[in-house]
Amino acid sequence: MQHWFYSTMTLQQDSIKTTVHVCSLTARLPAQTQSPAVSSGGRRSSECIIRAVVTSGITFFLSMMAATLCGKLLPKQGWLPVTQSVRHGSKAVTRHRKPIHILKQKLLAVTKYVPPTPVVPKGAYPSERQEVKEESGFVLLLKRELKKLFQDYKMVAVAQNCNSNAEDMRILKHRLHRHGIAVKFFPNQVMCSFLSDSVYSNMAPLFIGPTVLFVSKEPKVKEMLTSLRSSPQMTLLGACIDNTLLSAQGVVSYSKLPSVSVVQGELVSGLAMMTAHTASMLQRHPAHLSALLQQYVKQQSSEEAPKAEEAT
Amino acid sequence: MAASSKSAVVLKAVKKIAVQFCPFESNVRSTREFLLFVGSEKARSTNMNCEVITTVKHDKSEPVVDVTFVDGERLLMKGAKLTTREMLSAFQSRCTAKDPQAKAGVKK
Repeated sequence: MQHWFYSTMTLQQDSIKTTVHVCSLTARLPAQTQSPAVSSGGRRSSECIIRAVVTSGITFFLSMMAATLCGKLLPKQGWLPVTQSVRHGSKAVTRHRKPIHILKQKLLAVTKYVPPTPVVPKGAYPSERQEVKEESGFVLLLKRELKKLFQDYKMVAVAQNCNSNAEDMRILKHRLHRHGIAVKFFPNQVMCSFLSDSVYSNMAPLFIGPTVLFVSKEPKVKEMLTSLRSSPQMTLLGACIDNTLLSAQGVVSYSKLPSVSVVQGELVSGLAMMTAHTASMLQRHPAHLSALLQQYVKQQSSEEAPKAEEAT
Repeated sequence: MAASSKSAVVLKAVKKIAVQFCPFESNVRSTREFLLFVGSEKARSTNMNCEVITTVKHDKSEPVVDVTFVDGERLLMKGAKLTTREMLSAFQSRCTAKDPQAKAGVKK
């Protein structure tokens, strides 16, 4: 029967009072060491000796600890204090920011890292290495969409919207959708980087601030202008129609152009006019002659008719 | 822009704002941003009678902001070499100079 008596010593470095929970350590120690030695036996003796050695070692250690720490608290052996003070006072882990001790503050201030001052200020010279950032997947996706946009849609108009509510946008989108014009939004950075690589690099300065793209497969400029006139906050900046970059005034004049068939008719008539004029010039003399002969024949017939009437 | 978010643009003393710029030029950024601030909902709500007219040109002309106040004074800002902050501060200072006079007069 071995009675193991344990002692738990809890120490707090920052606590004012160290409390030691001792559970009958000193009282039982001498008895423990003695009892294995008293009982003797063949096999049991060796075990007892080992246990005795171990226990004596542990208890010696514990007693040393106890002696060093609570030498004053427990002056006499076997004396336990009647009142055991509960650990209280300042804690290490607090909910608020604990003020740093002045000594620690001083230490931190002295050992603070001071970076070396650069000889040349940072923005003075451009960096030698050009930073090339890899574009994220989303940016690549947007660029692909833009490429498709410029390929599919003939008309790409750019407008700036100062302020438009969701309501205004909804109404405008509905109006434009009726004519087959779509409203697209793209981030300016992506747009500029795409345009600078592509053919349409001159459109890049248009994209400052909140911009909206109006795209349509057929260039329906008149309808777009009428819809934009109703929303005062949208300012048309420019458009790219049939791979030609137009300004706002250019767009207005484009809208005033007649339709393609009318223009073609005009062109054909204009070209044909020259040849018709030449043909008529060539045929003027024979025509004149034939007209004169006809007139003469008429006169002759009119003269003969009265003569025949007179004869009869 | 932190400068303008502190004090909203008060347009009570303004009759008309005419902004003209050529978007293909490179010096229009400040004018366009000024237009954004002036044409925003907050600014517009202070004075519903104030008109904000935008003209988009293509003749390489300088960007110009022409403000007509209620008492007939005109403020002409050539935005080619100005920053947005400068334009806004000049505009706001004049607006507040005219506006609290009327407000203080009414309160007293």
